[in-house]
Amino acid sequence: MSLMLTALATLLSHYRRHPGQLAMLLLGLWVAGALWSGVQAINASARDSYARAEALFTTGLDRLERRDGGALDHADFVSLRRAGLAVSPLLEGEVATAQGERLTVIGIDPLTLPGDSAFATTGGPPTSDPGEPTPFFTPPWQTRLAPDTAPRLGLTRQSAAGAEPVLADGQALPPLVLAPALPPGTLVMDIAAAARLLGSGDRVSRLMAETGALNSTPAGYRLIRADTLVDPGELTASFHLNLTAMALLALIVGMFIVQAALGLALEQRLGLLRTLRALGVPGRNLVGLLALELALLGIAGALAGIASGVWLARALLPDVAATLQSLYGESVGTTLHLPWHYWLGGLGVTLGGLAVAGSGTLWRAARLGVLGLGQAQAWRAGFQRQLRGQAIAGTLAALLALATGAWLSTQPAGEGLLAGFLLVGALMLTCALWLSPLLAAGLARLARLARHHPLTQWALADLQLQLPRLSLAMMALLIALSANLGVGSMVGGFRLTFLDWLDQRLTADLYLRPPVEQFDEVQAWLARRDQVAELLPTAGAESTLLEIAPRGADDRPMRLPITLFGITPGASLTPSWPLLATMAGRDAAWASLTAGDAFINEQLALGQGIAPGDRLSLQAPGGQGRGPDTSLNRETVMVAAIYPDYGNPRGEVLLATHRLREHFAAPPRSIGIVLAEGQETALHSRELAKALAARFDLDDEALVDQRRIKALSTDIFERTFAITRALNALTLAVAALALLASLLAQARERRRRLAPLWALGVPRSELAGIQLAQLGGAALVTGLLAVPLGIAITTCLVAVINVAAFGWRLPLHVFPGEIALTLATALGVALLAAGLPALTLWRTPPRALLAEEETT
Amino acid sequence: MRRGIRPWLVGLLVALLAGCGEPTPPPPTDGFAGLGAEADGFAQAAPGTTLRFPADHGPHPDYRLEWWYLTANLEDAAGEPLGVQWTLFRRAQRAPDERPASPPGPWAADQLWMAHMAVSRGTTHRVAERFARGHAGEASPERDQAGVTARPFRAWLDDWTMESRVGDPQQDALDRLTVSAGAGAGDDAFGYRLTLQAQGPLVLHGEGGFSQKSADGQGSIYVSQPFYRVAGEVTLEGETRTVTGNAWLDREWSSQLLGPEQTGWDWFSLHLSDGHRLMAFRLRGGGQGGDESGDDYLSGTWITPGGKATPLDDDSLALEPLTTSTVAGREMPTRWRLILPDQGLDLIVTAPHADRWMTTKVSYWEGEVRVTDHASGEARGRGYLEMTGY
Repeated sequence: MSLMLTALATLLSHYRRHPGQLAMLLLGLWVAGALWSGVQAINASARDSYARAEALFTTGLDRLERRDGGALDHADFVSLRRAGLAVSPLLEGEVATAQGERLTVIGIDPLTLPGDSAFATTGGPPTSDPGEPTPFFTPPWQTRLAPDTAPRLGLTRQSAAGAEPVLADGQALPPLVLAPALPPGTLVMDIAAAARLLGSGDRVSRLMAETGALNSTPAGYRLIRADTLVDPGELTASFHLNLTAMALLALIVGMFIVQAALGLALEQRLGLLRTLRALGVPGRNLVGLLALELALLGIAGALAGIASGVWLARALLPDVAATLQSLYGESVGTTLHLPWHYWLGGLGVTLGGLAVAGSGTLWRAARLGVLGLGQAQAWRAGFQRQLRGQAIAGTLAALLALATGAWLSTQPAGEGLLAGFLLVGALMLTCALWLSPLLAAGLARLARLARHHPLTQWALADLQLQLPRLSLAMMALLIALSANLGVGSMVGGFRLTFLDWLDQRLTADLYLRPPVEQFDEVQAWLARRDQVAELLPTAGAESTLLEIAPRGADDRPMRLPITLFGITPGASLTPSWPLLATMAGRDAAWASLTAGDAFINEQLALGQGIAPGDRLSLQAPGGQGRGPDTSLNRETVMVAAIYPDYGNPRGEVLLATHRLREHFAAPPRSIGIVLAEGQETALHSRELAKALAARFDLDDEALVDQRRIKALSTDIFERTFAITRALNALTLAVAALALLASLLAQARERRRRLAPLWALGVPRSELAGIQLAQLGGAALVTGLLAVPLGIAITTCLVAVINVAAFGWRLPLHVFPGEIALTLATALGVALLAAGLPALTLWRTPPRALLAEEETT
Repeated sequence: MRRGIRPWLVGLLVALLAGCGEPTPPPPTDGFAGLGAEADGFAQAAPGTTLRFPADHGPHPDYRLEWWYLTANLEDAAGEPLGVQWTLFRRAQRAPDERPASPPGPWAADQLWMAHMAVSRGTTHRVAERFARGHAGEASPERDQAGVTARPFRAWLDDWTMESRVGDPQQDALDRLTVSAGAGAGDDAFGYRLTLQAQGPLVLHGEGGFSQKSADGQGSIYVSQPFYRVAGEVTLEGETRTVTGNAWLDREWSSQLLGPEQTGWDWFSLHLSDGHRLMAFRLRGGGQGGDESGDDYLSGTWITPGGKATPLDDDSLALEPLTTSTVAGREMPTRWRLILPDQGLDLIVTAPHADRWMTTKVSYWEGEVRVTDHASGEARGRGYLEMTGY
């Protein structure tokens, strides 16, 4: 036992002499673990939020809306209940806290809300005194909220219960009661309390019924079945898959660092291992000791990684929450919720990665010959074998990439999210595996060319010797650079496309959203005013796509929830509104929209394989009847064109507003106001707003300036991709660290090799220059290889992964600036890594260099 | 006092609403405690209260608790017996002096309404319940989900209704009623649509309508219409049958009913074949005596076919459980002996189907009973039995 302990201590003593290697090992484990567990923490928190949102009465219940689009009120509720329809009211609104945070208020009627979960969610402790009136619906009522919402009201979790925080408008919330099952950012209270807080009077936002409880739709109402409402988990799955892929990338890059460090540590301990074997330590025990060392390092690194991952997730979560809110309308908490399996999972994945990275080292240690001598040249022969192996593996990866690409090209667009990631992975692997053989081949060729320049020849030969140790760090750099370039180009391209699209879509100067009952009156009033050139009213409704009838193919019945949107194909809108595909040109498409045909968004076209010319049957209360139940009425429209619709998770059918209002009984939404020539200034807009407010009782939010919408949308966009950018930058930083660390770890040994050259009379400045050139050249080659790979990744992202994840295809944009930045990063990292040792060399007295040579 | 029980029911309902989905067995001893303690600010039921109809058919929001409680023993054309229950409970959430002069919005509530309905035939027993919020002001069937008005008499929660069909102002508004309720759909539907015609006058229990509930004087105002002839339709398992029979309506209101020791009750409303009606109840615990049986508080009313009421107390009424059955995990007495020495009656009251547990949020036993003579075994009538606190 003591023998084994001594042996272990001897093995570990290596790290005391080379603390840089230990630091590098731990660094690799730490960053890999931190990024992976950070992203997993974000995913776990988001999933927790979805689960809590589902517990909140909004999913799994059928909904009733008024056919005329009017607001529902208490009278609707009473008349439906009195007619025997078991509906329950829900009031939803927003309040601003004194801290300026906006929170959602949901008012419910627990007495009519279907299902027992409602009581569990809203109810108090089950052992309350039977003599007490139920505090939930008796003044002063209660505010139920998740503990993680309390800080947004300026309270700690401990002080929240019973508090009555005052809102920005001076009203106090009913006393708080903590309910962990509620979604974040949501205050649930009795509908009476919510109505008072929101000043909503009789109005309710929604009437809900238990699924299937209503056999038929009451006259004057529209029934929306729960199964046609979207499931947040499904929608956001692709987003979380994207995040996971990023984290996996970081894990792999981290493991590259680990493997490089382990390889180096073993290399330098070969002699030590032989000595130990010669002293009688059995080979099996030696391998066991090395495995133990790995495990110890792994646990230390993984724990540090997980701890930092939680910190990282906490830092990134607000961005993720903003992304999910803007892309999918999902509310996600900004505080972490980590189940127990999260901790074990993080530890497991990091240790698993370490085991993979360390298995090669252990394998080599196990096959160690007792009598063999550690010779760099002999090792180099092994490296040649390794290069051949890598080239073969790289070829296999390339074949896999080709096969995946070929398979994807046979698939309908929007399919194959996983295959898309597989393709990206295979491409990266191909390039990473081919990198070393390419560098080695390049060096060999250059060495032949430099036959008459001894110093250059030496430099090339020396680089060839360094290559085995450098190659892993270079591979990590290549992967990080190309991923960075790929993702950066995708985001940049999306940004350009999105901004263009916003410009094209927002054609009116002002957008007005009058109350439904005043809509026609407001529109008529506006039409009479001189400063208005054109009015573009819109309408909207929810519907169900019942059947697709493609040209020359069989009908496909389905039940797909979609959004109906009505626009006015006016003279100022049609020239700029973007279209992707039409049946017979732009002009014909607009003419047929006016005549009653439909446009569909790209998401719907790609998701369902719909092409211009196909016919769609839509559920339409005002359409052709199929029996007494008007929910079965349908309307058939032809698809005249497909338009891009970025940032919308759902399928949408576009119709002319008048047709939508007549045939689908859709309520009006907003009016786009195009101002007359010379009247488009902010001053004129304000005048119009004032006149509107004087004539109609409209609130401040009803009229919005086009510029403000653009600013808002751009802001949302930037926040959406903040998380992607952050993760991307982190991955690149990890790779740069990998290269830096692996170079610094061998700096001492390098100096030893340079000493004889200096002794032969090569000036130190030239030696330092050689070092810079060696590494700079290798990094430049890596960077150059990363450019086409990055472009390939961008292509894959915009053409496959985005289509599957979001439903829209983007044009491929290549940014020379991004490419230059990529190359500069590669060079910068390499020069920094070479510069530090070079600087040391510059400063080290020649005597010390020679002394180092002697001590080994 | 029959429904002396129900204040407790409503109290428990409120507790349950606060918490959970599972029907919970009533707590054995705490049930009445809260009720007795906090009647501050509410009107108190007391002897000497003058009743005025039709106003007193309407709600009494100054009292904490109130109910309109109908049970009916029916049979279909083939003579198969059926039972029906329709109940509307009101509970004030705030004392009259705590209520704002005008309600601050349509949702503001100071009253809680709860309705129970049941249809039973043979071993089948179907139950449904509804809840609604309300306010102390005059309710309107167009504006309010639930409420009761006195002129004309209407009681409703959703589409469950009890409405007067009396046009003549000289007649009592409860003399002719229509009652309907329903739940479920398709093969699962159950409900009823009944017309009730009173064959006798209203009956005031206790002392001019004040029905004492415990030895220390707590009680309620308790009025019944026990003389209904019923005709109508009952739907069960999706099938509708024409029915006829008898029904009994109880009206009771109070703020503080029961003593703190009382744990539950057994209550009978019986239609005897000779035209007499009998109301009898036993409150377990809280009586005058010190020994165990003396802890029970006994009371009742003997009603002649003409409507003359004679109060009964523990000298003129004896109740004895004979056999128990296991119902919903509880041992419940489903066979009883009732002795009225002054009337020379010795009756056996049996529940032919023990499984009449009300699986509502507040749960209790409510079901049809058969009355036979103890000595001869001859059929003597039928009625309803309610048991709580087991």
